[in-house]
Amino acid sequence: MKTYLKLNNEVLNQYATTGSIDNGKDKEATRRYFLEEVNVRMRHFINLEDKLEYLIEEGYYEKEFLEAYSFEFIKGLYEKAYSYKFRFSSFMSASKFYEGYAMKSRDGKEILEKYEDRIVIIALYLAQGDETLAEQAVEAMMEAYQPATPTALNSGKKARGELVSCFKLTMDDTMNSIAENIGYCLELSRLGGGVGVNLTDLRPLGDPIKGILNKASGVIPVAKLLENSFLYSNQLGQRNGSGVAYLNIFHGDIENFISSKKPNADDKIRLATLSTGIIIPGIFFELMKRDKDVVLFSPYDIYKEYGQRMSELSMSAMYYELLDNPNIRKLKRLNARKLYTEIKKAQFESGYPFEIFDDNVNKVHPLKGIGRVKMSNLCTEILQVQETSIITDQDQPNEYGLDVSCNLGSLDIHKATKVNDFGQLVDTSIRLLTNVSTMTYIRNVPSVANANKLMHSIGLGVMNLHGHLVHEEIPYGSQDSIDFIDAFMEAVNYYSIQSSMEIAKEKKETFYRFEDSDYANGEYFNQYTDKKAVLHSSKVTKALGSVPLITAHMWKELKAQVMEHGLYHAYRLAIAPTGSISYIRNSTASIAPCTERVEIRDYADSRTIYPMPFMNNDNKHLYTEAYDVNPYELIDVYAAAQKHVDQGISMTLYVTDQWTTEQLAKVYIYAWMKGIKSVYYVRQRLQTLEECVACQI
Amino acid sequence: MSNLTYEAVNWNAPTSELAKVFWDQQWKQIWFPEEIAVSKDISQWQTFEHQDTYKKVFGGLTLLDTLQTNVGMNEIAKFAPDLQEKAVLTVFAAFEAIHAKSYSYIFTTLCKNAEIDEIFEWVKKNEFLQYKAARISDIYQSIEEGDPESLWKAMYASVMLESFLFYSGFFYPLYLGGQGVLRNSAEVISLILRDESIHGVAVGFFAQNIFKRFSQEKQDELKIWGYELLLDLYQNELRYTEDVYAETGLSPEVKAYVRYNANKALMNVGFEAMFPEEEVNPIVMNGIRNEGSTYDFFSQKGATYAVAKVAPITDDTFNFSHLKGSEKSEEK
Repeated sequence: MKTYLKLNNEVLNQYATTGSIDNGKDKEATRRYFLEEVNVRMRHFINLEDKLEYLIEEGYYEKEFLEAYSFEFIKGLYEKAYSYKFRFSSFMSASKFYEGYAMKSRDGKEILEKYEDRIVIIALYLAQGDETLAEQAVEAMMEAYQPATPTALNSGKKARGELVSCFKLTMDDTMNSIAENIGYCLELSRLGGGVGVNLTDLRPLGDPIKGILNKASGVIPVAKLLENSFLYSNQLGQRNGSGVAYLNIFHGDIENFISSKKPNADDKIRLATLSTGIIIPGIFFELMKRDKDVVLFSPYDIYKEYGQRMSELSMSAMYYELLDNPNIRKLKRLNARKLYTEIKKAQFESGYPFEIFDDNVNKVHPLKGIGRVKMSNLCTEILQVQETSIITDQDQPNEYGLDVSCNLGSLDIHKATKVNDFGQLVDTSIRLLTNVSTMTYIRNVPSVANANKLMHSIGLGVMNLHGHLVHEEIPYGSQDSIDFIDAFMEAVNYYSIQSSMEIAKEKKETFYRFEDSDYANGEYFNQYTDKKAVLHSSKVTKALGSVPLITAHMWKELKAQVMEHGLYHAYRLAIAPTGSISYIRNSTASIAPCTERVEIRDYADSRTIYPMPFMNNDNKHLYTEAYDVNPYELIDVYAAAQKHVDQGISMTLYVTDQWTTEQLAKVYIYAWMKGIKSVYYVRQRLQTLEECVACQI
Repeated sequence: MSNLTYEAVNWNAPTSELAKVFWDQQWKQIWFPEEIAVSKDISQWQTFEHQDTYKKVFGGLTLLDTLQTNVGMNEIAKFAPDLQEKAVLTVFAAFEAIHAKSYSYIFTTLCKNAEIDEIFEWVKKNEFLQYKAARISDIYQSIEEGDPESLWKAMYASVMLESFLFYSGFFYPLYLGGQGVLRNSAEVISLILRDESIHGVAVGFFAQNIFKRFSQEKQDELKIWGYELLLDLYQNELRYTEDVYAETGLSPEVKAYVRYNANKALMNVGFEAMFPEEEVNPIVMNGIRNEGSTYDFFSQKGATYAVAKVAPITDDTFNFSHLKGSEKSEEK
C-alpha cells in the first residue's frame, strides 16, 4: 500500500474520531508522495536547453510559440518562476496537479513537467511573443491568477484539446436546425466541451406539423437525442460528454421536462445523464405570489402570430397579450404554486433542474439594446446574448447567428489581496483571457466562431472566498463578509472595464454593436457614479489588503473613457464553480462555503482527503459547512457579488433531508427577490442514523 | 374459524420507540445496484492481481446476505411481538435481498459464468463459511412463539452477523476502493454497509428492550452465552480470514478490523467491548465515510438522493419579515 495514501486518510480518520486536525499528517503525505511517486517518475534533464529540445523533438511541445522568444528570455522566465520557491501546500493540490495537469510521457510513466514549468509554458503560449505580457503572466499565475482547466492543461502541447470547453447553442423549430445542432453537439463534445442547448423555441408535444394537429413529438425526444450524442462522443472513453437542455417554464412541455430527471421517471422520458435547466420569467413568481394559474403556450403559435421566437420575447411583458390573443392556443392551465412545488420535488430527488431568473438577467443586461439572454451553460454562470442561426436546405447557404464559447479564468481572492498592484493583476488576467479568445477558432461550429470573432467574450471569476474569510477570521454570511465581497468584486469589475477599454484603444476595435450597449450610452455606470462612499469595519479593510476602494469619482472618469474608446469585450466577468483548479491552488471553490471541513473527494478512480486551506485547530470553527450556513445569508453573499458581475455566478444551494419543498421554494423566491440570476444544483445531505436517533432521544 | 382477534398496525400511535426513525432512515437510503456503473471497473479488473481473493470475499458476503434475507430477518420479524417492529424488520429483509442481488450484479459484470459457478461451489465447500452460517442459522431457527429468550438470542445473533461477521469481507473492497482500485464495486459495498449499520443498531436496540425485562440471573446467564458465542465466531473468523486473505498478506489488518467491529456489535446490543482499542487502517475507516463526499459533477453519480417532503407553498412563503434586514428585500 502507498504510505502517502494512508497518511492522507489518517487526516480524515483522526478528524472524524477526535475532531482534531493534524496538518502534519497531510504534510507528511505530500512529502511521501514526492518521494514515492513524483521524484522517481520525473525525467531529469541536464539543463533547460536539453529539456526544451527533447520536449519539442519528441513532439510534446509545439515548436512555433517558443520560437517567438529568444532562448535567453525563456531562460530568464523559468528562473523568475522558480524564484518564487513554490511548494504545494496540501496532498490534494500536489496529487491533482501531477495526476491531472503535468505533461507526462505518452505511456504515462514519466513526468515531464513541474508546476513552474507548466506555468511558464502557459505564459509563453498565451503571450504569443509579447515578452512583457509573458513576464506579467508568470507573475500573475505564480501569485493569484489561475486559467480554467482546458487552458491550463492544453497550452503549449502539441497533441492538445481546445483551450475553451464551454458552449451554448440555440436550436430553432426546424428539422434542419435540430439536425445541425446535434452535429454541433457531437463535435463540441468530441473537443471535450460541455454544451448548453436551448429547446424553448421547439414546438411542444401534440403541436401541428404542416398544419396537421397532434403530429409533433415535443422537446423530450430531442433532449434524448442530445443525451445520446453526448454519451457517444466521449473523448476516447475518457470522460462522458456532458450537456444541459434549457426550457422556458411557460413552454407546453414543461411538466414532462421537470419530471424527466426524477430517478423513477418513465424510461421513455427519463434523462439519465443530460442536465436540465428552466428559464423563469418574473411574471411566473408574481402569478405564484397571487396564487394564480399559469397558462402554457406553444412557440409555434407565437412565431406564427408575432414573427418572433418564444425565447426572443419577454414573457413577463407579453404574458397578458398572449392570454388575450385568440390566435394563441392556451395549451394548459396549471396552478403556479403546484407547478413550482413539482420543481422543488424534482430538485430534492435529483438536484435538477437549474433555474435561470429571466428578468433578473435581462433587466441589468448591459447589451439589452442588442438582444436578450435566453439561456445559460452547463454551470449556469455564462449569460450572453445569442442570435438563432437559420439553417436552410443543403442547396441554400445558412445564415449563421451568434452562439457562445466561453473561456474562463479565476483569481485566488486570498492571494489577490496580497499582490503589489491589483489593477495590474486584473489587467494581465484579462489580456491572457483575451488571447485565449483570439487563439480559439471552432471551425465546425460557425455560429460559435462567428460570435467569438465579433464579441471577444471572456469570463474572469474568483475562488477561495471562504478560505480568505477564515484566514481573516470573518464568518461566512456575516455583514463583514458581504461588505468584503461587495468591495472586492467592485474592484474586479472596475479594473476589468479599464483593461477592456485600454485593449479597445490599443486595437482600435470594440465588440460588435458596442454603440448599442449600455456602456456606450453610459447607463451602465449609473449604479456606480451616484453611489455614496461606504465605511467598512477595520476587519473588512484589513481583509481587502492591497485591493483599492473604488470611488464614485474614479467611476466617473472611467465612464467618460469607455464612452470615448469603447470596450473590447462584450462580456468580461463570470464566476465559475471552480472544481479542479481550486484544488490545485489549495483554495476553497468559487465564492461558495466549504461543504466539509475535511473533504472527501471522489473521482472516477481515486479518493483524496482534503482538509480546507489555512485550517487549524484554532480556526476550524470558522469553516461553517455549507449545509449549516443560513441559506438566506448565503444568498446575500452571492447577491452582493452579483451586482458587479455582468454575467452570472454558479450558485449551489445546500439542504438537508429535513427540509420540505416549501422551505426550498422560499429560498429560491428570496434569491429571485435579491436579484440572483441563476441557481445551479441543489445538493442534499442525508442525515446519518446517529443524528436521527440523537435528535429523538 | 378461530376466535383470534386480528390487530392492525397503527403507525399513528407509536408502540415501539424509534421504529419510525429506523423505517424512515431505511427508506431514505433506498438504492439499487444498477445505479452504480460497476462496468467502469472492468478494465482494472482484467489486470487485477488478487482476483481469487476478491471473488471469494464476495462469495462469502453473498452467503451471509442470503441467510439474512431467507432466514434471519424473516424469522425475527415473524416472532417479534410489536407490529411496528415487525414492519421495520420486513423492510430490512427486502434490503438484504437487494444486497444479495447486488453481489451478483458485480459478479455478472466482472466475471465469466464458469468463474461464477466455481465461486458458488466454493461457498458450499468452505468449512469456515459453512460453520458461521450454520451457527447463526441454528439460533434463528430455534425461536419459539412467546419465548422472549429465544427471540433475544436470535436478535443477538443477527447483530453479530450484521455488525461483525460481514466485516472480514467488507474490508477488502473498502481497502482497494480507497486507493482507487475497483472503486465502483467499493461504492456498492459502502451502500450495503450504510444499510447494515442501521440494521445492526435497530435490531440491537430492539434486543436491548427485551433484555432489560429479564431478571438479573437471566441477564447474567445470557451475557455468558453471548460472549461465548462471540468468541466462538471470532475464532472461526480468524481462520476464515487467514484462508481467504492468504495470498495478499493483509490478514493482520483484516483481523484488527474484525475486532474493531466485534466491539461495535457488542455495543449495539448494550454489552461492553471485549477487545482492546487498536489502530485500524484509516483508508478502510474512511471507506464508510461517504455521506457528504464531494462528487465530481462530471463523472460519478452521488450516493444521495432522497424522496422530498412535500409541503404546499402558501402566502407565508412570500413573507420574509422574519429575516434581519428584510426591508432590503422589498427592492422588487
